[in-house]
Amino acid sequence: MALLLRTHYELAKSSLKRNRTRSFLTCLGISIGVASIILILSLMGSITNLVSEQVSKVGSSLVVVRPTSTRSTVDSIVSELTTSTQYLKSNLTLKDVDTIKKIEGVAAVSPLAISVNSLKGETDTTVPSATVIGTNPDFLKIQNLSLKNGVFLREDSETPTAVIGTKLANSLFGTAEPIGKTITLLGQRFIIIGTLAEVDDPINFNNVDLDDSFFVCASALNKIDNSLQIQQINVRTENTDTLTDTAEKIKESLVAAKSGDTNFTVLSGDEITHPAGSLLSIISGILAIVAGISLIVGGIGIMNIMLVSVAERTHEIGVRKAIGASTGNILLQFLIEALILSLAGGFMGLILGYALSFLLCLVTPFNPFVSWQILAITFGVSLLTGLIFGLYPALKAAHKNPIYSLKYWA
Amino acid sequence: MIMNEEQKESNTNEVIIELKGLSKRFGYGDAASYALKNFNLEVKRGEFIMIMGPSGCGKTTLLNIIGLLDTPTSGTYILNDEPASRISARRQARLRAKKIGFIFQNFNLIPNLSIIENVSLPLVYSGYHKTRRLIKASEALDRFNLKDKEYYLPFQLSGGQQQRAAIARAIVSHPEIILADEPTGNLDSRSSATVMEELRRIHSEGNTIIMVTHNPALTSYATRVINMLDGTIDTDIKTVKDSDLPVPIERKTPRKIFKSRKKSNFKKKKGKK
Repeated sequence: MALLLRTHYELAKSSLKRNRTRSFLTCLGISIGVASIILILSLMGSITNLVSEQVSKVGSSLVVVRPTSTRSTVDSIVSELTTSTQYLKSNLTLKDVDTIKKIEGVAAVSPLAISVNSLKGETDTTVPSATVIGTNPDFLKIQNLSLKNGVFLREDSETPTAVIGTKLANSLFGTAEPIGKTITLLGQRFIIIGTLAEVDDPINFNNVDLDDSFFVCASALNKIDNSLQIQQINVRTENTDTLTDTAEKIKESLVAAKSGDTNFTVLSGDEITHPAGSLLSIISGILAIVAGISLIVGGIGIMNIMLVSVAERTHEIGVRKAIGASTGNILLQFLIEALILSLAGGFMGLILGYALSFLLCLVTPFNPFVSWQILAITFGVSLLTGLIFGLYPALKAAHKNPIYSLKYWA
Repeated sequence: MIMNEEQKESNTNEVIIELKGLSKRFGYGDAASYALKNFNLEVKRGEFIMIMGPSGCGKTTLLNIIGLLDTPTSGTYILNDEPASRISARRQARLRAKKIGFIFQNFNLIPNLSIIENVSLPLVYSGYHKTRRLIKASEALDRFNLKDKEYYLPFQLSGGQQQRAAIARAIVSHPEIILADEPTGNLDSRSSATVMEELRRIHSEGNTIIMVTHNPALTSYATRVINMLDGTIDTDIKTVKDSDLPVPIERKTPRKIFKSRKKSNFKKKKGKK
């Protein structure tokens, strides 16, 4: 059997070599499909990696409270995407922050009230849609952030103060050192007392780009905007060992404080990355389906070429049968040919896909993600494509009548 | 000497192909036509049969049925004591690879394989390693003075050379039966003569040859001439006595292709020696 397979492999190789251009173009069809799948998988992998890296950098003692647990289902994410009422359901309040603060084992708590507003600088420069984060002084501790200049927010300050990310500072004032300048938000003037050191993590578990954000006290924000929505409460526990216990305690006391309302989730460890990941996985899932379609097109290309090949070699099939090839022999010969095409295409796609993702990584903050799973998927997918689309032509070849085939001259 | 006579007797008595009441119909109902009608034939080992007859009298169909490429509509075909209808498709293919050699009018060499690859093709399907295949093919080509053309492509050879390569392909796995369908039909008289000499040589080694031809001049090579007409035998003339048919050359390694029955034949022969 092994000998027969090797012989068929040699036969298939020589017949593919005879039609180099055609074989190459067929491979190309498959490789484009495989390349797009690899590109998507590798991007998805690198984004997940990025977020989980961040969580581990921030520390394993982190607990995150987010409103509503329904966010993880596909339906809710799709509806949120289409209706842009993403955070309307938030039922977290500043009171909850106080509740958590009192729990034993909690070292620091900070709310994240994220909204998008227009900001006005001292001159007439405005940023129409800047990310405004209402938080508290603990934020710096929890995120392990440092200030480039100045001081961070203080809860007890009488004048409204603010801290600004470097990117936003640059676009508002044209300088990264705007300390002492004022910014107008919803008619309220805020004095900038500090600038955040650059973090360069546009993708993180807070779902905001900290470099491009404007930080004010949540309590101060609450005064000017009654409909303040807290999208997330970040909690740092005193001890990593008691992380799950503390998370449990937070949940219990929140349920108690909110008189039975359970529309929130308490996440710790790897779970934190999930909400960001689940939205991502839907998008990449859709992209993968699109890539899959291109793979099907590539597969049809293989089928087409194999059918042409079978038709133009009808006479050869007749001769082979007359001198001793069995139905199985012919079937294997053509099937192996299709498999070689698809596997070669898969290999080309692998290289192409990674080349593209490396190129993409030059302009994005991602790192190319390589794993054996992706290699296995590539191999499996191209093998399957070859098998599915190669089987029909091979069967057609194998069941040709030798007598008619011998009379057939292409 | 007496022993030798006996041996000849035992061999020539051996019927290798037996056709009983064979019919082959094409089409159905009103459109039905018979290529073979109640055809009976017994072929003994070592015969060189020439089948003549007008076009469309069923010669090629007969050859295809004997070569296991086609199946009769009715009647039985017994190949080496075994009804062909009982041989599985897979084993039929193996028999074609090892025991039956085909020679065609239009040579039927695969155009994009070199001569040596073409000749070694039957060995691919009988499970030889590449090196063994090439050695055997090279030996076969050497017999037909084509050794220097091994790596030519078929179109680079003359018609006669192509046909000799095709004959080399037919005999490369030492088949017992060689079926030739107008092997000289596309050749000039000189090339025909060469090809016929080669066939005569193969026959003298004890192979059974069944050849279809239109050329009456070639009947001198045959030991038996059959004239066909409308799917039946018109005349059947034996020019050589059965006892004078050539004896197969004993090969060192008899292949166990014809199952146990064949094996006992070989044992019998060995015992006689």
